[in-house]
Amino acid sequence: MKPLVFTLRNTPEAPVDLGPLIPDLLAGMKVAQINRLKLAHGKKSVSVAQLFSVTGMDPANIQIRHGCDKLLYIGKGMSHGSIEVSGDAGDFAGQRMRGGTIRIYGNAGSWVGNSMYGGLVEIHGNVESYLGAGMPGAAHGMSNGLIYVKGNAGDRIGDRMRRGTIIIRGNVGSFCGSRMQAGTIVALNKTGEYPGWNMKRGTIVLAGQPSHMAATFMSCGELKMQFLRLLFKQLSELGNEYAFFKNYSPASHRFAGDLANNGKGEILILLQSPSKGK
Amino acid sequence: MRPSLKINGVTIDDTFAEAFPMKATRIIITAMSVKWAHRAANSIRGFASSVIACGCEADIERELNPSETPDGRPGISVMIFAMSTKDLEKQVPMRVGQSVMTTATTACYAGIHSDEKISLGKNLRFFGDGHQISKVVNGHRYWRIPVMHGEFVCEETAGVTKAIGGGNFMVLGKTARQVLTACERAIEEIQKVPNVITAFPGGVVGSGSKVGSKYKFVKASTNDAFCPTLKGQVKSELSPEIGSVLEIVIDGLDEAAIKQAMRVGIKAACSLGPKKGIYRISAGNYGGNLGPYHFHLHDLLS
Repeated sequence: MKPLVFTLRNTPEAPVDLGPLIPDLLAGMKVAQINRLKLAHGKKSVSVAQLFSVTGMDPANIQIRHGCDKLLYIGKGMSHGSIEVSGDAGDFAGQRMRGGTIRIYGNAGSWVGNSMYGGLVEIHGNVESYLGAGMPGAAHGMSNGLIYVKGNAGDRIGDRMRRGTIIIRGNVGSFCGSRMQAGTIVALNKTGEYPGWNMKRGTIVLAGQPSHMAATFMSCGELKMQFLRLLFKQLSELGNEYAFFKNYSPASHRFAGDLANNGKGEILILLQSPSKGK
Repeated sequence: MRPSLKINGVTIDDTFAEAFPMKATRIIITAMSVKWAHRAANSIRGFASSVIACGCEADIERELNPSETPDGRPGISVMIFAMSTKDLEKQVPMRVGQSVMTTATTACYAGIHSDEKISLGKNLRFFGDGHQISKVVNGHRYWRIPVMHGEFVCEETAGVTKAIGGGNFMVLGKTARQVLTACERAIEEIQKVPNVITAFPGGVVGSGSKVGSKYKFVKASTNDAFCPTLKGQVKSELSPEIGSVLEIVIDGLDEAAIKQAMRVGIKAACSLGPKKGIYRISAGNYGGNLGPYHFHLHDLLS
């Protein structure tokens, strides 16, 4: 079956909530019905047809073309299927998603993978802040799944995350993995200030020294971590995009922390990093 | 038993091996080198020849290349069979804790994933005394237990699958030395077959048993019909020229694997022929009443 393609006609004036356009909600609908669906557009409500030209038929395989940062909540709460965005995406892509795949071939906004429960989000450009984090008032951030960012990420990525994996190949901002409850963050280039600030448990793997580290992280020395052998091998088997993990060595400097909050988390700074400075 | 089939001059009895359902799991042990993976694997498969008294039957299935293991180090896959999942649950975590975790540089992973599970690191984690760390990688949960060599990484659970135990054949010949040589050849071939193990020491049983005994408190006793020293004393299965009998017992994940192992094993044993003292191949059964799986030698080999 041909993928269901939404081609944006013009850049919208106001943010558009694309939450209704997920495989779960579009299953069994005809194109005519989809065209009549209402989307929140700023304060107004507009039909899909006004914003997009819709072709194709397979609701489990959705493509969004000419994406831009006004398109919010892409793939919100989806549980299966795939959504591909060519162009940029706005905030909240993959919010509370449970499964399936979102691939964004462009940049994305803040709160990508916000409190997601599972699935895969791949961003081939940069993202802004609060990647995989939890909204104020939510119990925790992402609780499973994988987020992969090829470019750079902003501040407070993985804030209060509970489980799952975040991989950033570019630079990350400050407070990476702040207040983490558990889970794994792998940042493969430069890191800003205070990684792991107030983290309770969890693992932050960094390719190099962060620009500043909190005093509440204690050195456990330079070690070959068996866990990193497992992690890198398992990640390298996820597909061609991840095969570069084969080149990573488990030698790292382990810091335990944040001792201000239980101290059962860790920051592993890799001693040899093939991609650093790239 | 009427002999009608011969391979290389060796008579194949018209009989069958009787096998019964078991439960099995597979674990993968990795270490710094294949030598140290072997140390752990040999330890975990120790005292696991027969469920009669060991609680489980275990053996090394094969060596694994670094590319085949979860952490990219050399490894060994070990299969463990027991009469029930409950028995596996009792045996496997205890053996992993005492044999694998104690071996330097090892890690332990599940080699089978299924809905039915037994614990691996699930209870071992408490050895970490609060410093243990749980990690979920690619959908599987692992426990990282800080130990003196570094970190013992162990998957939380291993899958359990239906399996078959007790596939067997017997090699009958002139002397123990000649029969053992034939059995060694058979074991060499059987080790190449995937999804089967031969749990007895060296894969060969020197003292095959029958069910029951004249003593009420003994569950299994010597298979007197195949004991060469009792030829004149009991209702023997042995003709005068037979001086020694050895049995090869095969546990496998399915009927096809056991059939294949029996086939290659019997052919290898027969390759020596009567000139080298190998006269007959037979198989152990209990009249067909005990196990639902019957492997007829003639069907296998024709």
